[in-house]
Amino acid sequence: MKKRILPLVLALLLAASLTGCAGRTVSGEPYKMYMIVKSTTTEFWKSVFAGANAAKSEYNVDLTVLGPETEEDYEAQNEYIRQAIRDGADAIVFSAISYTKNAQAINDAASAGIKVVVIDSDVNSDGVVARIGTDNVQAGKMCAKAALETELESIVVGIVNCDVETQNGQEREQGFRAGLSGDARVQEIYTVNVPTDAELARQAARGLLLEHPDINVLAGFNEPLAVGTALAVDELELGDRVIEIAFDTNPICVELLQKGTVSALIVQNPYAMGYLGVEKAWQSLQGQRFDANTLINTTTTTITRDTMFTIESQKAIFSFG
Amino acid sequence: MKKRSLSMNQIMILSLTAIVVGILGCAIAFFLQTYQRSLIRNAQTDGRRTISQVTSTVDGYLSDMNNVMELLADELVTPSDDREHFFETFLKIRSDVVAVTIYDEAGYLMNCYSLGHEVRPVVRENLSFDRTMLDVYADGYVSAPHVMSLFEGYYPWVVTIIRPVDAGKWEKWVAVDISCTNISSYINGIGIGQRGYCFLEDTNGNIVYHPQQQLIYSDLKQENTALISNLDDGSHVIGTMIYTVQTLASGSWRVVGVSFVQEIITDNLREIARLLALAAIAIVAATLAVSFLFSRVLSRPIHDLISAMAQFEKNADNFVYEPVSGVREVQNLSSSFAHMVRKIQQLMATVRAEEVNLRKTELRALQAQINPHFLYNTLDSISWMCERGKNQEAVVMVNALAQLFRISISKGHELIPIRSEVQHAKSYLQIQSVRYKDQFSYRFEVDESCLDYLCNKITLQPIIENAIYHGINGLVDEGEIVIRIESQGDDILATVEDNGVGMEKEQIDAIFRRSDSKSGIGIKNVNDRLKIWFGEAYGITIESVPDEGTRVIVRMPKKQKE
Repeated sequence: MKKRILPLVLALLLAASLTGCAGRTVSGEPYKMYMIVKSTTTEFWKSVFAGANAAKSEYNVDLTVLGPETEEDYEAQNEYIRQAIRDGADAIVFSAISYTKNAQAINDAASAGIKVVVIDSDVNSDGVVARIGTDNVQAGKMCAKAALETELESIVVGIVNCDVETQNGQEREQGFRAGLSGDARVQEIYTVNVPTDAELARQAARGLLLEHPDINVLAGFNEPLAVGTALAVDELELGDRVIEIAFDTNPICVELLQKGTVSALIVQNPYAMGYLGVEKAWQSLQGQRFDANTLINTTTTTITRDTMFTIESQKAIFSFG
Repeated sequence: MKKRSLSMNQIMILSLTAIVVGILGCAIAFFLQTYQRSLIRNAQTDGRRTISQVTSTVDGYLSDMNNVMELLADELVTPSDDREHFFETFLKIRSDVVAVTIYDEAGYLMNCYSLGHEVRPVVRENLSFDRTMLDVYADGYVSAPHVMSLFEGYYPWVVTIIRPVDAGKWEKWVAVDISCTNISSYINGIGIGQRGYCFLEDTNGNIVYHPQQQLIYSDLKQENTALISNLDDGSHVIGTMIYTVQTLASGSWRVVGVSFVQEIITDNLREIARLLALAAIAIVAATLAVSFLFSRVLSRPIHDLISAMAQFEKNADNFVYEPVSGVREVQNLSSSFAHMVRKIQQLMATVRAEEVNLRKTELRALQAQINPHFLYNTLDSISWMCERGKNQEAVVMVNALAQLFRISISKGHELIPIRSEVQHAKSYLQIQSVRYKDQFSYRFEVDESCLDYLCNKITLQPIIENAIYHGINGLVDEGEIVIRIESQGDDILATVEDNGVGMEKEQIDAIFRRSDSKSGIGIKNVNDRLKIWFGEAYGITIESVPDEGTRVIVRMPKKQKE
């Protein structure tokens, strides 16, 4: 009799202690995260940081944001990654300058047990647990659509793109070209690659427009390049003739959209990238698994002069507070 | 207990535990349900209280804003000396106001006052003023949130309050743009429960200010505004959410509180459920302990009684009953049983004594019988001796016969000294050696120290008779019979050994079965008497090898004369 009762009592006590354990909430030290991106100065990245900060306070994360001086300095990024490894970071939210040259550092971080989440621009590494960002090929196609929806009879395209090492620029150009390829009006596509810098982009765009006066569609594939190309079109007073397609929502581009110099803005959702980057890193640390080969897609919107003040466009272009 | 039916213990423990668990379960279920309901009610009350506080502060803000509008209208109707200065001061004081704009009847922008921002040369679209709305709301309206589109490079989110003024010819409408983020101080940091929050929407379901507005604008969070805008004022539990809605006194906006049933229930209930589980375990444990105690008090004595009875069943003679303590009923049972045990043991002793007496009487009667054939043969021998003039031998023979009878009778005593028994055997052998002349010889080897102990009378004679008739008689050569009396520890061994034909096992067994013999008393009779007088440990053993001889051993205790 005694022998039968004892295990019962033990089982009850065990059950009680288990429910006791289940009752405890996850707390303790906040996770230490590094957000290593390509720049800290443009509107795009400021918006990424705003999103990251929203997630940081929501998930109680210790977040360090780092970015190099120029958007070509992958070596500085690698050094930041090594710093994060030394610092014992739990996760890195990363946007790669170089698809290949950042790979080794990211592999090192992954093998040190750090969860790496990629936002915006990809890196060639198997150690990445989740990828978040714009579907860049699709964004490129949206550029093409914006160009083709005009009444131009013949189309000559100029592209100002960033370094060939940067993955998202290449994908956008690839999508852009794919979108243009079916259309018989497209005569020629000129591409120039410059470092991601508004001034250098302006000079390059100016050169391109002067060298090929027949260019009537001009695209800048990220925020500084968009600003540079838009300024070039503006100063050459080609706004009426050239369809300028700009990425992101730099205030200069927004002004030039109102003015008519810029015909379309391809607006990404950097706030979502920042927020989701931190969120997915946190979830990954909590044991959730993601398919790193499937991009977690953030919305991309095309905004033209006519649609820029709809409530949806307002929400996409102008950040709140 | 051998049968697989439930014992008293088990029935008691199981039923007690079942009752307690049942009652506990019902009580806990009932309590949890009540508790959950009261939790939700509390949450709703809490939400309503919080929301009404927020409502009153926002209401205060809006009525303040109304005063501001009146102040501005006054200023427009009766302008002060320095209008620019007035507006500059006003905007400095009211940092929540982004701009004050003034429109004519048709809706053309007449004037714009703003700190540090100039109206752009070409305004593509003025989001702060919608003339068509004023056809419907002639007394003015509060706009949905929108971006300020009048300035170059400066696009804050605002809501616009528009009022008609009657100030001369041109200025017909005044509009004040209030920064949405300024409203944050009334909304941010208002918590309902742990994760609950509140936000501000207009009557059309547009969010005016939400603590996570940018997340909503970025499609990262959704607020079910379509559902909420259909809710009346008050508290609503919808699915896992509690929505508390209150419309502002001015009627233009609604404050919506959002809290989570799940969170309230799981977090609070889990804690309570844990405590309840602990309490339940304690109660069940206490129940078990109490039922153990009960069963111990009640059934342990019964078990003791049962095992006592079982023991008594196995060995009634040597059973010593120790009374069992316990409740009164058990004590009654116990004393009854004790009484019964005593009675039965007495009865058994009586029966046994009577049985022994009966046997003794029976045996004595047997001893009294002397085989007439033996007597006749002996007397025949004596008469023959007298005829032949062997007087001396006849005297010896008569003496031996007399001795034999005297000892056989022994004044009716059963136990006689071994000395007498040996004499008895010698007399018998004297008689028989005449009868079986030259057929056997005999000798006695007697330990003198044994002679004074007592033994059953007529113990040796039947054995010797057996040795002569069954051992020596069939022998061609002269046989020999040796009678030995010796001491062995506390016992005396009397051995009768012959070198006759010996016996098979079957013959030995037959001897122990046969109750009579030629002389009247058989070996079985001797053996029975030994056992009756001295106990089972004593008696006769027979060792025999065919064609070699037989040895009969009598074991008896050293019994002193009284």
